[in-house]
Amino acid sequence: MEISSDLIIVGTAVLVAANCASIGVFLVLRQMAMMSDAISHAVLLGIVIAVFAVGGREPVPVIVGGVLSGILTVSLVELLYRSGKLKQDSSIGIVFPFLFAIGVILVTQAGTVHIDAQHVLYGSIEFAPFDTLYVDELNIGSKSLWVLGILAIANVSFIGILYKELKITTFDKSLALGMGLMPMLVHYLLMIMVATTAVVAFESVGAILVIAFFIVPASAAYLLTDRLSRMLVISTSLGIASAVTGYMFAVFADVSISGSMATVAGIIFGLIWVFAPNRGLISRWRRISRQRFEIDLGIMLTHIQNETDAERQVSVFTMSQSLGWTEEYSKKVGDFIEEQEFVKRDTQGNFVLTGLGLKKAKDYSS
Amino acid sequence: MIEEILPVFLGLFTDYTLRYVALGSAILGITSGALGCFTVLRRQSLFGDALAHAALPGIGFAYLFAGTKSSLLLVLGAAIFAWFAGIITLAITSTTRIKQDAALGITLSVFFGLGIVLLTFLQSIGGASQGGLDRFLFGQAAALIESDVINLGILAVMCLTVLVVFYKEFKITTFDSSFGQSLGFPIKYLNALLTSVIVVAVVIGLHTVGVVLMVSMLIAPAAAAKQWTLNLKSMMVLSAIFGGLSGIVGSMISSTAEGMSTGPVIVITITAILGISLLFSPKQGYLFKYLRNQRKTQRPLDAIKTFSDTEKENHGNLQ
Repeated sequence: MEISSDLIIVGTAVLVAANCASIGVFLVLRQMAMMSDAISHAVLLGIVIAVFAVGGREPVPVIVGGVLSGILTVSLVELLYRSGKLKQDSSIGIVFPFLFAIGVILVTQAGTVHIDAQHVLYGSIEFAPFDTLYVDELNIGSKSLWVLGILAIANVSFIGILYKELKITTFDKSLALGMGLMPMLVHYLLMIMVATTAVVAFESVGAILVIAFFIVPASAAYLLTDRLSRMLVISTSLGIASAVTGYMFAVFADVSISGSMATVAGIIFGLIWVFAPNRGLISRWRRISRQRFEIDLGIMLTHIQNETDAERQVSVFTMSQSLGWTEEYSKKVGDFIEEQEFVKRDTQGNFVLTGLGLKKAKDYSS
Repeated sequence: MIEEILPVFLGLFTDYTLRYVALGSAILGITSGALGCFTVLRRQSLFGDALAHAALPGIGFAYLFAGTKSSLLLVLGAAIFAWFAGIITLAITSTTRIKQDAALGITLSVFFGLGIVLLTFLQSIGGASQGGLDRFLFGQAAALIESDVINLGILAVMCLTVLVVFYKEFKITTFDSSFGQSLGFPIKYLNALLTSVIVVAVVIGLHTVGVVLMVSMLIAPAAAAKQWTLNLKSMMVLSAIFGGLSGIVGSMISSTAEGMSTGPVIVITITAILGISLLFSPKQGYLFKYLRNQRKTQRPLDAIKTFSDTEKENHGNLQ
């Protein structure tokens, strides 16, 4: 079975993105985004030790080594901050550079290990087609596709089987405790899945860009929906979209594929951040200015009522003086309330409350 | 033992390369050590991590437009991008419901991705001429030359001067920012100033330990110093000493072994200092805490015993 090398790279990228983006939803919701940073760096140590021990890059020992060092990271971080000596963020920032530094030294010291220090950071997805898997001397196709495919099945089953547990422990820890759902067990299972995903994605996209796939699509999805199930679907789709678009751009501009995919993921996030309905910057800005306008409208009506009670005239000019608004803005609000028939203007352009306006002003001041 | 260590130590004074490597690393260690106290106390440890990663595209752009590897220009580009990333992180957390950790993850990974795109782009158009740029990934203290060290030294002196001049202001905004506000301190500008100095420290670090391991230089010395003292001033001095020491020791160790990069060795050194502090500091260390707890659990038993003993004696006396 021959698959073109482009297809293998895109397939690898899509599978990496889908695996990371789906698990990443829980990381974002549980506020553990930086834990994935720590884990994705620390797996290097486990991978290197596994390669030393076995003498080759067989998938199973590498994954076991990586997962073990991932669990070591999580436990060390928790040990440090549970001791009360360090805060959680400091603990993360101490543990993973340390483990990563040991990994880097081992890599550079041992010429026999075929891991390039740079590719540790941004992977080598370009070489995915050249790495094939053999079963009994029979070439069964791309190694990365096989491993990532199996991982995808594992991730889907993990989320599918433990959906209820994941959901409740994420959103309401005390309810989960009360229901006997064992949040700590779920937490560690999730961390094992994160570590497994990080190890498998490591070869393709490296220690840092894997974070882009864990966090960026999930955060973008978080801006688009309130339902966990939809968030999982949206996050996965956004991850896949950035992988495919990123690959096309990388081929076009002859740059790093994994870097380009992360950049595209960032651009997609930026677009959603600006344009998302309800939670986007634009709709947020509109909502805020609408609210401000509504408040100012009330201020203006109350002001006119007070001034009328004190038998003083109110015009656009006096209003901008006493309320500290620009004349333009006072005129805009004034025109609006005139249109709504809350006020009329007399011949000198002074505001006079109508019956409707008086009622409205009393509503506001009460 | 001593015959092996002595030449390395003397190398500090005789070996031209080692002297600059050690000096550059020490400058980084001192600056990031002193400034790191604030990031640790403000719980912004991972902010430094994100800033360091986000500086990478700045280096790429500076080289793309200026076409030189002059350390000052690269530093400027890096600082601009790190600053920009900091602002974006703040904007994400303040305008959406995305929490700080995810916002940091976003800026960190996306900016780093952009940096890699730029570096590979430079590679494809410029051939080998960009060869020196990827040294910022893991840092390459060994590549430091005299002019680099002078530039880094000037930047470090600037940072430390700001730190000394605004010490009181930074202290108040760190521990009680609402009190600072009531005193009329411009909190917003002070925070921006502190972030700027941290950005400069991070950028210095890119030369020696690289983007990935920089976070360690900000956090570990400060965390270690915190185990020994509760006074901010002594914490800063101690942290700067720890940082500088690990820079020198790290570059000495790495000079003894072929191909052992300086950055990771420095990080392991400073983490070892932290480990020692966590275990052996007299007031807060695990060891002395354990010993004190042992004594505490024995004391009540002794007290009860003596109480009943005196009771007996008293009764005996009365009878």
